[in-house]
Amino acid sequence: MSEFSELIKNFEKTRDYVRDFFIYGFKVRNDFTGKSSRTYDDQKRRIESWLDGYMKYENAKHGKQISINLDSGHIYSNPLYRAYYSKSFTDNDIKLHFFIMDILAEGGKFSVNEIVSSIDQRYGELFEIQTVRNKLKEYIDEGILVRENNGKVMYVRLSEDTLESFMNYNGIEDALSFFSCTSEFGEIGDSILKSCGKENNIFLIKHNYISHTLEDIILLPILDAINSKHYISFRTASTKKNNMNNIPKVIEKAVPMQIVSSVQTGRRFLIAYYENTMRFFSFRLDQIKQVNIGGYCEEYDEIAERYNRDKEKAFGISFGNLKDMRVSPLKIVFEIDEKNEYYVAERIIREKRNGIFEKKGENIFVLTLDISDPNEAMHWLKTFIGRIKSIEGGTSFVRKRFEEDIEKMYCMYGGQNDNIQ
Amino acid sequence: MTIFSEIYGIYFRIVSKIMERESVTETEIHEIIKKYGYRETDFLMSDKIIPNKEGTDWGLLKGEKIFHRVTENKPVKIFTELYKRWLKAKLNDPKIYLFLEKDTVKQLNDRLKDVQPLYKTENFRCSDMFSNGDDYYDEEYRKNFRIILSAIKHKTLLNIRFVSGHGKNIYGTFLPLKMEYSLKNDKFRVYCCQIRNGLNSGNGIINISRIESIETDEEPYRKHISMKKYFSSRRCKVPVTVVVTPERNGIERFLTEFSSYEKQTEKDPLSENCTVKIWYDIQDETELLIRLLSFGPVLEIVSPERFRKLAFERIEKQYRLTCAKNK
Repeated sequence: MSEFSELIKNFEKTRDYVRDFFIYGFKVRNDFTGKSSRTYDDQKRRIESWLDGYMKYENAKHGKQISINLDSGHIYSNPLYRAYYSKSFTDNDIKLHFFIMDILAEGGKFSVNEIVSSIDQRYGELFEIQTVRNKLKEYIDEGILVRENNGKVMYVRLSEDTLESFMNYNGIEDALSFFSCTSEFGEIGDSILKSCGKENNIFLIKHNYISHTLEDIILLPILDAINSKHYISFRTASTKKNNMNNIPKVIEKAVPMQIVSSVQTGRRFLIAYYENTMRFFSFRLDQIKQVNIGGYCEEYDEIAERYNRDKEKAFGISFGNLKDMRVSPLKIVFEIDEKNEYYVAERIIREKRNGIFEKKGENIFVLTLDISDPNEAMHWLKTFIGRIKSIEGGTSFVRKRFEEDIEKMYCMYGGQNDNIQ
Repeated sequence: MTIFSEIYGIYFRIVSKIMERESVTETEIHEIIKKYGYRETDFLMSDKIIPNKEGTDWGLLKGEKIFHRVTENKPVKIFTELYKRWLKAKLNDPKIYLFLEKDTVKQLNDRLKDVQPLYKTENFRCSDMFSNGDDYYDEEYRKNFRIILSAIKHKTLLNIRFVSGHGKNIYGTFLPLKMEYSLKNDKFRVYCCQIRNGLNSGNGIINISRIESIETDEEPYRKHISMKKYFSSRRCKVPVTVVVTPERNGIERFLTEFSSYEKQTEKDPLSENCTVKIWYDIQDETELLIRLLSFGPVLEIVSPERFRKLAFERIEKQYRLTCAKNK
């Protein structure tokens, strides 16, 4: 039986556990099906160690619930970054790191053979040449070492770009403090700060979806593929019950276009052109696993041009059902007291996205959304409950559902209506 | 190239901290590990760093009782390619000018001229960010931002004239405490205390874009303000309790959307409904209400009664507008 380690080799497995503990909070041991109890115990113990102080335990009807409990708006550093700081390594990895850095710290360039013999002489440790060569190549790729060839012999020296030399710019620490807590790879900024013993204690983020950081592991290859116009393939596991019973789907030859986030629903999506169906799809980043970069896409610019056209009619991330030709512009008529409640109109103006907002009469305003999927706007429109005079256009489905929803809610809260089923 | 690498890991960072010292005792090693490590790191790692007779340690320290690193030099820290690519991407964000002078941005861009940014601005799109975000190119805004940032760091008072959210002109002396950035609003706000006669006379938030004038009072404010107390004064006394049904993937959608809130969840194994208690900033009560209503009949506000009544008032009004007239 192997010993417990708080470090991990595979980020993917842990990513799901951290997300489940954080997002759901109500899951108990039996809910983690498909995993052995040993795996569950190890993952739980690991996360408890990383996130000590943030864990909450409650006895619920169906068992002991474990959750990561925090107010994301009042934290200075995202604790979920710790998953990234927990990569396992071998004894050789850590020894070679400090030995190589020490040898090269004195300046000058060294060949692989020279480094191997220096390690032996200085620290009494004998390493295989190939082991050291692999480590040097890894560190060249990471930008820690610089390669210099002399004939067929590879020499390496330490990069001159020290952490200190970058931290000397005026204002850089403040910039790092801020960007370390924002999305788009905040963990990298946090890592820089921590490496020089600094921490953010000024900036807080409102509407902070901290679990997005767990998606950054698959985001990097996606962004590389977008910027180099390559195909990608990946697995996706939907959490929707009606989506093939959670069986992962394999997506081959997708052309990645853009990452679209919603600061109101807390979700991030990859928009990609899927060759099999010849249309754009949105894939939730939290459900994407194992991204592989494929070949160069010759038609990338053409597809991107089409995407730029199609996205003009997307309210969010849905490109609608292209077969549904019955979609007409969605017109929402609002009744707003202009004298006392003009702030409602102001809110529509700043939140309407691609819609057209017009005053049509005293206290009457119309928002026209010419969008490919009217259903996508309904979640937002319901934030205006109490102000909507009528909904026209769109599809009969969205209009009917809105009316039914209001009737159900009216009954739910004690309103009297005998017609509701 | 990935941040999920041991070179950025907590163990390497801790060993680096230990090896920065010329000498270190066993007690000090445990202290360093406890300070920078996780809950179990000291238990799991200390045997590997402290030399032992069996030779199962990493061999990075030598000595007995007082230890010295086996290396000659303090560990060198390099600004890696990943760090450079990240920084290069951030240099394209207009918010960078809130922190760095134009010349500094140029110097850094020159230094990183051969580095590919980790991402391009156009790789990301936020579908629902408000359209009236702060103007980060405005020189006056940048100046005000930096004055506030400096005052937060040095705990100095500021005389600020600004227009409140309700259109009122306000002038007063404030102690800025923290800055908050809202992703949804794309705005910076300042958490502050109003100071009258040297005493804290109330807590508030000022939108930086609403500031009309700002002057620094060089004297630092000596009294301690507890952020814990500050935030708890803004926290609701009673949480809102809602019941969410699994219909339309409601539970998953709701818990993702409300993941930024402090909350407590419980799922009923029979009905599969989820009961959620949500704690919130009292200033955001209306925002919370409309966001809950946006879930439609998938969600019911159970308590407190006052909050439930607020929801019903809006629903009833909507019912009269679109449903009752059709009956």
